[in-house]
Amino acid sequence: MARYLLRRLLAMPLLLLGVATAAFLLGNVVKGDPLASILNERQMNNPEVVAAAKARWGLDRSMPERYAIYLGNLAQGDFGTSFRTKRPVMRDLLDRLPATLELVFSAMLFGSVTGIALGVAAAHWQNGPADHGARLLALIGSSVPVFWSSLIALYVFSVQLGWLPGAGRLDAAIRPPESVTGFLTVDAALAGDWHAFGNALGHLVLPSVMLGWAVLGIISRMIRASMLDVMQQDYIMTARAKGAGTLRVLLRHALRNALVPALTIIGFTFAYLITGAILTETVFSWPGIGSYAVDAARALDHPAIIGVTVLGALAFLTANLLTDIAYVFANPRIRLG
Amino acid sequence: MQPGLRFSPAAGPALAALALLGLGAGLPGPAAAQDDTIVIARDNDFNTLDPSRSWCDSCQIYLTAVYDQLVRVGADNETLEPRIASGWTISEDGTRYTFTLDPDAVFSDGSPVEAKDVAFSLLRLKNLKAGASFLADGIAAIDAVDARTVAVTLTAPDPEFLGKVSSPYGAIINADLAAEHGATAGADAAETDRGEEWLLENSAGSGAYVLESYRPDDELRLAANPNYWRAAPDASAIVIREVEDAVSQMQALQSGAVDIAMQVDADTAATVSAPDVVTELVPSFNFVYVALSPGAKALEVELTRELREAVALAIDYEGVLEFTTGGAANLIASPIPPGFPGTKGLPMPKQDLARAKALLAEAGQPDGFTLIAAYPEINIYGVDLSIMMQKVQQDLAGIGVEVQLEPVTFPVWRERVGGDHIPLTAVYFAPDYYGSGQYAGYFGMIPGAGWYGRAGGDEVPGLKNAAMMALMEEVRTASPEAAVDLYHRMALEMISDRVIIPLVNPSLVLAYRKGISGMRYAVCCNLPLEELVKE
Amino acid sequence: MISGTRPLRLRPPAFLGARLPLAIGLGVILFWVLAALTVQFWPLDPPLDMVGRRLKPPSAEHWLGTDALGRDVLSRTLHGARFSIPIAVVVVAAAVALGGFLGAIAGFFGGLLGAAIMRLVDVTLAFPPILLAMAVAASLGPGLENAAIAMIVVWWPLYARLVRAQVLEVREREHVEAAVAAGAGPMRVLLRHVLPLCWTPVLVNATMDFGQVVLLAASLSFIGLGATPPTPEWGAMISDGAKYFYHWWIAFGPGMAILIVVLGFNFAGDGLRDLLDPRTE
Repeated sequence: MARYLLRRLLAMPLLLLGVATAAFLLGNVVKGDPLASILNERQMNNPEVVAAAKARWGLDRSMPERYAIYLGNLAQGDFGTSFRTKRPVMRDLLDRLPATLELVFSAMLFGSVTGIALGVAAAHWQNGPADHGARLLALIGSSVPVFWSSLIALYVFSVQLGWLPGAGRLDAAIRPPESVTGFLTVDAALAGDWHAFGNALGHLVLPSVMLGWAVLGIISRMIRASMLDVMQQDYIMTARAKGAGTLRVLLRHALRNALVPALTIIGFTFAYLITGAILTETVFSWPGIGSYAVDAARALDHPAIIGVTVLGALAFLTANLLTDIAYVFANPRIRLG
Repeated sequence: MQPGLRFSPAAGPALAALALLGLGAGLPGPAAAQDDTIVIARDNDFNTLDPSRSWCDSCQIYLTAVYDQLVRVGADNETLEPRIASGWTISEDGTRYTFTLDPDAVFSDGSPVEAKDVAFSLLRLKNLKAGASFLADGIAAIDAVDARTVAVTLTAPDPEFLGKVSSPYGAIINADLAAEHGATAGADAAETDRGEEWLLENSAGSGAYVLESYRPDDELRLAANPNYWRAAPDASAIVIREVEDAVSQMQALQSGAVDIAMQVDADTAATVSAPDVVTELVPSFNFVYVALSPGAKALEVELTRELREAVALAIDYEGVLEFTTGGAANLIASPIPPGFPGTKGLPMPKQDLARAKALLAEAGQPDGFTLIAAYPEINIYGVDLSIMMQKVQQDLAGIGVEVQLEPVTFPVWRERVGGDHIPLTAVYFAPDYYGSGQYAGYFGMIPGAGWYGRAGGDEVPGLKNAAMMALMEEVRTASPEAAVDLYHRMALEMISDRVIIPLVNPSLVLAYRKGISGMRYAVCCNLPLEELVKE
Repeated sequence: MISGTRPLRLRPPAFLGARLPLAIGLGVILFWVLAALTVQFWPLDPPLDMVGRRLKPPSAEHWLGTDALGRDVLSRTLHGARFSIPIAVVVVAAAVALGGFLGAIAGFFGGLLGAAIMRLVDVTLAFPPILLAMAVAASLGPGLENAAIAMIVVWWPLYARLVRAQVLEVREREHVEAAVAAGAGPMRVLLRHVLPLCWTPVLVNATMDFGQVVLLAASLSFIGLGATPPTPEWGAMISDGAKYFYHWWIAFGPGMAILIVVLGFNFAGDGLRDLLDPRTE
């Protein structure tokens, strides 16, 4: 087991180099002239201006030279300067990371809590209406286009019913609390600004629920399966025989043991969350990494596209690795090759 | 105020936990904006905040709020008024402008605005060869006569020079401060200047507001300039929040989350009625046009003037207004928008299918031809170019001309329109200052004009318009009264070129909450922030 | 390797039984395939023409309303099948062919070539799928063909990995060793004796991937990297609808279409799995 993990860890740098190279090629072997993203058309006709811009953005160098510079900068955490915002890509990404993390965490929280509750209910009333209902909800969650369900939810809950605020992280009129963690809810709570806290939380509800929906399905199914498994075990039978209440048995004994294998699945849902976050952020004008990626792709902002793909891959690889490690610890009997 | 619970501090966390579980039905509705901060919803198009590198609509708003120019267009959208320059004289031959600077003018750090700052700013604009540098191209030299007097020498007379320095990009920067942070203005500024990064986070102007913070795609926060040398603005802070689409902007306005929404389109404004929201339609100088390029490589026929005229006559102009803005727009005759010198009495475009078909037949193309139409996929001034081009596609089908639509991103469009050129395209124009010369110099079929190049002027015989060139030369030394007539004749020349076909002159929707005043459309800068007042 | 990028599939409600989901799924698929092939001949308004007043809510005349150009949303939604269904077929077929080919080579021959293929697979799978598709589509420029290429780039490694695993297992079986012992060439053994035994999981996965490709293609179009107007592609139509948000019906039809198609493929895939390979969950 240790050997397996070691091998995975050792493979990481090589994988990252591959990722960085692939991202570089994607950003540089492209149709179209990157200068068009930087200069306006009046300037494109002026050779002096074009030469000045090429020198400024390093476009006058050969591809291998640019690749070497790129790798050197990357090693120092420098992704270059965005064509679109004219700021260092790393700064843009760091500015926006908390927004995405806050969304992903709360989606995960919603998905896990609701998913576990549904899973327990489905296992308890196996093959009853609750079970079937949970299945159907989960199935739809993984089949519905999240950008569409988000639009519909915005229309219903924000425009028609007025229960929840619309797009964005915070009402425009509310001054964001001083940034400590970058999570608006946490920062507002730390600052004791309960008005901002409530507002930020209100803004979080719809995107988190929409994003968490797909995850909810996976987790509820997983919990259901392992609950059914655990409930066949002797000690549950014993607890029941001793006259423990149904709820007590379910929660104290069965769920506790069913949770361990199910928890490892959470890392697995990361792919859903990244995909969903990109689309959800676009619909909800959420100023996170996902909407940054979309803006960059649309503006052919290659430094930003490269930065965002490398960061995404890094997060993805880390999540997969952690999932594997968690899996190994949760199932020590499993042999991995 | 929307129905819902208000949070008390103690109940906050408990309700919060509920809400996170998706159980909280009634969350607090957005409260009214805090104190006298004015919050604006806008989909920004900033390319930078560095005055001499910037070039965008949002830049115009920012550069007039945070910086001052030598002169500025007044509330009548026409007359130039003193700003940093309290007065000016023009030499006999029209090539030397001497400005006297206002002795009260100070930058936000308290230091006086001096001749060296003016020289630094305008030369930097010229030498960075970025953004709006063409506005300063005619400057030969700038001399500081003394600390409060500055003389600008031009390479040739230019009756619109004052108009050009009144544009937002003529912003006067605190030279010492900017130079301290890497800005340069010398002839080699394009290579040596390092000022942009600092200017993205700080302002160095003498305007009513100073930059407090800027987060791209999120918000721009301005605070009142404590050292402002003119009448202090009403609002202590202005926040421009990024709100992408018209619907979200309208929603934010309705809920009271913002005080002003800048890009509500007429369709959306018509759908929504709210007691606290005021929406006004005002005329603007912006317009959206289609353009034909006879020099485009992807043409299957020679796009002669007759064929271009046939295309222009096939368009249902009134219908385009209806489809793009629900009718909240005006027809526009020439590439000089109504209200600018020389536009009175121009003939309005009309659909004439019979004439269009006859022209096609005469040109030997009775069955029509195919045009590739690549255009930037954007929504500008309430006009969705995709919608507009689909309407044009339908109209041209009426004379057998098949249009193949290719919506592209803006950078791709710029490359294509400048490179192989695009047979039929669509884009927009907003003035940089009050003056018709900017249109003639951009849309006229004369060497050096932007669209002359895009239309393939040098390669296509007969495209160069000699009459236009003569008029341009004549206007350099003409009196303002005579210039009006010259510009009128230029407008007629540009109509008959049939390269630029203006389609929509959209009305601007001013949408704001009751209690806000000072809302107006300004030619200099869309919305002059310093004039806004919140009750 | 136990984790991966492959999304976990959910099973349709068990109360429907084993065959019923398959029947429902196949029914839905049949309907949309039929639509893709013959929708031009259905009694519908033309999908590109302005047939009514713009922005009209659903009515007896226009069941799903009209969009900003006065086009019939129902007609456009049904015509959307002409784009989404072929795209799904092309992408999955290409991914199976390319991934299957490379995976089979990696599994059967191994060696340096096999290792190189699998490292390429690892690197490709290291990217979150949608980010990779976006980056590729952005490099190639918008358009449905480019979006299809981007999706093939995203999908082939999954099949490479799947087929390689299958080949590794089948290779050890007796009849294969017998064929090798009998002197059959390696290519012949691979094609005649190994690959025919690998198709079950490929078929099950491919069926469910059809739905996922429909989803991703619509997502790319939605963010402006796929179909371009006036193409009645579902993602692009939803993107149009988002611009006219208060006129909810513009986005409703295409969204429901995606939901139904993806559900259909998921049902069919699950039913197929139960039918062909009852051992696996």
